Amino acid sequence: MSEQKELKPVTVEKPIPVNYDLGNLALFDPNPLNPLKISDDSTKNDYLKETTRDNVQLLINQILSLPLKQTTDNANGQNSTMTLIQLPDPTTQLPREKYVPKAKDATRWEQFAAKKGIKKKGKDGKQVYDEATGEWVNKWGYKGKNKELDSQWLVEVEDKPTKKGGDDELIDPRKLRRDERKKLLKKNELQQKRNVKVASERK
Amino acid sequence: MIRTVKPKSARTKRALDKKLPKIVENTKTALFVPGQTSNKALHDITVDLSSFKKPYIKRFTKKNDVLPFEDASKLEFFSEKNDASLIVLTNSNKKRPNNLTFVRMFNFKVFDMIELQVLNNFKLLSDFKKLTFQVGLKPMFVFNGPVFDSHPVFKLVKSMFLDFFRGEESKLQDVSGLQHVITLSAIESDDHDESSMSKLPLVYFRVYKLKTYKSQEPKLPRVELEEIGPRFDFKIGRHQYPDPETEKDAYQVPKQLQPSQKKNVDVDSMGDKVAKVHVGLQDLSRLQTRKMKGLKSKYDQINDDDDDEGEYDDNDIISDDEDETRDFVDANEDLSGVDSDIEDEADEPSKKKRKN
Repeated sequence: MSEQKELKPVTVEKPIPVNYDLGNLALFDPNPLNPLKISDDSTKNDYLKETTRDNVQLLINQILSLPLKQTTDNANGQNSTMTLIQLPDPTTQLPREKYVPKAKDATRWEQFAAKKGIKKKGKDGKQVYDEATGEWVNKWGYKGKNKELDSQWLVEVEDKPTKKGGDDELIDPRKLRRDERKKLLKKNELQQKRNVKVASERK
Repeated sequence: MIRTVKPKSARTKRALDKKLPKIVENTKTALFVPGQTSNKALHDITVDLSSFKKPYIKRFTKKNDVLPFEDASKLEFFSEKNDASLIVLTNSNKKRPNNLTFVRMFNFKVFDMIELQVLNNFKLLSDFKKLTFQVGLKPMFVFNGPVFDSHPVFKLVKSMFLDFFRGEESKLQDVSGLQHVITLSAIESDDHDESSMSKLPLVYFRVYKLKTYKSQEPKLPRVELEEIGPRFDFKIGRHQYPDPETEKDAYQVPKQLQPSQKKNVDVDSMGDKVAKVHVGLQDLSRLQTRKMKGLKSKYDQINDDDDDEGEYDDNDIISDDEDETRDFVDANEDLSGVDSDIEDEADEPSKKKRKN
């Protein structure tokens, strides 16, 4: 469009005011279309385009008058500011894809804790400082602190033989320690299963 | 039904977790399924439709024998397998030529369906070949005609297309991202009788690209449109509304997303904020009345406040033996209770006398 031409207006007049759903960038025009112009193939597309243009103009006017928000984008090491439009919440209700997620059933421990008023402790990290080596090591898991004993090449044995595994048999304390851990794991698995079972029965 | 197994690896667990219902949902994925009688034209049409939905699409290449209005179990299987909740099935036969069935799923079950037959005067994206648009931009929507707010079938069409093409839900919109507009237009239908399907007016599907020019206003641009295609005239066929029970579930808003309501604060019909404020009981005993020497609390015959007395006390009469004063106060309280009773009784007969 050349500069000499007179600038066109942005205002559009509609007999019935249109409805907006700016959250979805949508406009609903309740003004009836002209059936004669639509049924005639020669005028149909131009007529549709003209009506739509008016409506898009209205929509753009509305969208651009919404509050703005400046954000700085740090892409490629260069700061570039972007102006974004803050859209309101969509007003047209659309169906969800899936159910609203249900809250999980409380486990047996959680029920007990609630009854007793026991609060969850915050996690204090997975790693601890090992004074001997001067490094941070995992409390559990790979090369965990709780497995320290397993890898010792020399272990102190109590004078009395441990009760497990027969009368006087000497059992490797390393194995004992490991068995203890495995037992805890088994116990926890059983508890998990029980919680799942109880939860499924309740439904 | 797809077999549900306990995930064996962390990776499969993550993949399965993605499919679980969420509070804030992901953008719906669309599945394009060619039916047994699909043809080249329908293929091209779905390619064009999917270009507006990219990247949230999956296109099937093989034909599938599905009759959605008779048995939708296959579609439900596809939906669950691909975690897609929008399906476009294409079929073409003598009775329903160039038929697109838009199916919406809820929880991997059919939610609603509508058949749209593309009339033969359609034009594809390649027929325009003028302008392209960027992938993944949010389109604008314009619905021309009052039927989209009044007629149930057209409401379904509106909801379907909004749901289908709206893309990612976001609070922020880049101005340069406003590039194209999808419009649906329909003239007023004569009768609102749902049984007469054939008489429903056509739905015109058009896509335009925006061109902005300087205008008389300094901040607002003058908008002009250019059609980029595709151009479809849809004839509405069979349709299926959602089951009222599932509809309730589908339109449920999770508690976490509902705006928290503040107690006693309302917005009235004019948009003004109106609040109700509760003021606590006023303590009249502390009210400052006229200051006179004789009204000082130390001259009070009934001592209500022990604390105040210290301030006014010049003569040290009471502080000598506090125990006595306490007893005195207690006794007074007892008395005052009795007094009021007596007064009430005394009042009543006087009223009676007046009446008489």
